[in-house]
Amino acid sequence: MSALLEVRGLAKRFGSLRALDGVDLDVAGGSLTGLIGPNGAGKSTAFACIAGAEKPSAGSVCFRGREIAGTAYHRVAALGIGRTYQLVQTFADMTVLEAVTTGALLRRPRLRDAVAHAEEVLAFVGLSEKRYRLGRALTIADKKRLEVARALATEPALLLLDEVMAGLTPAECRDAVDLLRRILARGVTVLMVEHVMEVLMPIAEHVVVIAAGKTIFSGTAADAVRDAAVLAAYLGSPLEHGEIAGHAP
Amino acid sequence: MTAKPHLYALGAIVVLGLLAAFGLHEAVVLDLVFTLLLYAVLGQSWNWISGYAGNISFGHAIFFGCGAYASALCVTHGLSPWLAIPAGALAAAALALVTGFPTLGLRGHYFSIATIAVAALVETFARTTPWLGKANGFELPIASGWAALQFPQKGPYVVLALVLFAAVQLATIALERSRLGYYLRALRANHAAAASVGIDERRCKLIAFAWSAMMASAAGVLYAQYTLFIDPPSTLALAISIDIALIGVVGGIGTLWGPAAGALVYVVLAKAVALRFGGAGKGYDLVIYGAIICLIAALRPYGIVGTIVDALRRRRGAVA
Ligand SMILES: Nc1ncnc2c1ncn2[C@@H]1O[C@H](COP(=O)(O)OP(=O)(O)OP(=O)(O)O)[C@@H](O)[C@H]1O
Ligand SMILES: [Mg+2]
Repeated sequence: MSALLEVRGLAKRFGSLRALDGVDLDVAGGSLTGLIGPNGAGKSTAFACIAGAEKPSAGSVCFRGREIAGTAYHRVAALGIGRTYQLVQTFADMTVLEAVTTGALLRRPRLRDAVAHAEEVLAFVGLSEKRYRLGRALTIADKKRLEVARALATEPALLLLDEVMAGLTPAECRDAVDLLRRILARGVTVLMVEHVMEVLMPIAEHVVVIAAGKTIFSGTAADAVRDAAVLAAYLGSPLEHGEIAGHAP
Repeated sequence: MTAKPHLYALGAIVVLGLLAAFGLHEAVVLDLVFTLLLYAVLGQSWNWISGYAGNISFGHAIFFGCGAYASALCVTHGLSPWLAIPAGALAAAALALVTGFPTLGLRGHYFSIATIAVAALVETFARTTPWLGKANGFELPIASGWAALQFPQKGPYVVLALVLFAAVQLATIALERSRLGYYLRALRANHAAAASVGIDERRCKLIAFAWSAMMASAAGVLYAQYTLFIDPPSTLALAISIDIALIGVVGGIGTLWGPAAGALVYVVLAKAVALRFGGAGKGYDLVIYGAIICLIAALRPYGIVGTIVDALRRRRGAVA
């Protein structure tokens, strides 16, 4: 089984702060991999470095067997990595349809084709009825859905999802999990940051735990909650409802 | 979204313009129509980079100047003024690329500052360079006919301005329905999110800026052939760059009809003040203009046309 994404020794410094200090992770093609860790562990920074939004200070990011560390952000998207933001980044004055069409234009330069594909993606994520709403007028759950749709419209091989369920109601979470399953069924590989373990446990084949910028665990979700290093990392930080310790046997 | 209503509106304007060009003989009125169309073209040119792409240019006069000077140089060197259209466009696009390349990928106001700096440089260069006529500028030798692009009446000039206006509006309609148009709007809204869907900011904005510069240059050629006299204050000055930006802002940035609306307000206001106060009123129009801009900025950042578009979209959104 060769990995779609292989990250080795990824490091990122912001001035004197070592936000990442040796992150290793593998994502197998077709899988859903969870990336967890305490607040400030460096999960979002790892996403930014993989996606090209930030240049890593050191380390390698290998995507489809090709080194992409330091590649320009827009090129990484063209290579097939889509992402959402932890704090949603909508095209505020575009309608939902226009925003998703913008994503679709990456692989379909003709507007007519892009719009058709965007309509299909909107139906897929369940936003068709709101296609003429402005991005800024959506609820938080719909904004997150819109971000997923926009990224999906670029037809990525790998989708990076940063806390897409944070702030959602339980019902909205169930919808989101359902959407995730359908995304996987579509053949898109997913790497997702998620705080709520209940959500991750049943759907993630594989979990990577980082703390203080380092990978401290890599394995199944069931093993993660029994791992001493993982427990220590979480116990060393304020616990949140539903976080890992709640599931320790 | 269909382009049909816009095409009908444009068609109506062209028909009205042609009627004016052939039916009216009052030089004052034709002059007003010509000026209006030229300003609308300049406003739209500015709108491409500053409205759709969101990078405010304060030096747009130099692209206008490229066309005007190309025209003057061609004619005074015995070349066809038609040659000034590609030559001016080339010079304008080159200037745009040189200004935009280092600054269009950067955050902050570097681009706007660069446009001011380059514009000041170009104006000074023209003022001091003998082959560009120094401060005196150029007087174009009188000729007549389509080959010389000069006419004793104003009618043909209005026709030419109308053609240019229609071409620029059609190009903008196409822009709004193209990948580039979507990409520019996405970049203006959120550059990071735009990059995350594969948009190359610098490339897109350089293309938009180059087109923008070439449109302004075409207006410059027409202007030179119309007035038959050009010098730095009438074609390159900062004041003209500001006028162009004002027209773009008042009408509504990033909208198809905004620049035309802005040009209408601008020309009518300037004329009204001139009629009411005569020469003594110089500057009053600017004061009123400033007040309108403040009002728009306070109430609606999207200008006249932007407000209408917003209202329409809201109605459709409520139905959908
Ligand atoms: N652009 C930046 N400049 C400076 N420091 C940053 C920057 N981005 C992140 N950091 C710091 O890097 C560290 C890791 O942040 P990051 O956002 O990656 O953590 P996270 O694991 O995503 O946390 P959370 O669970 O709160 O989202 C934090 O200490 C953060 O303050
Ligand atoms: Mg984070």
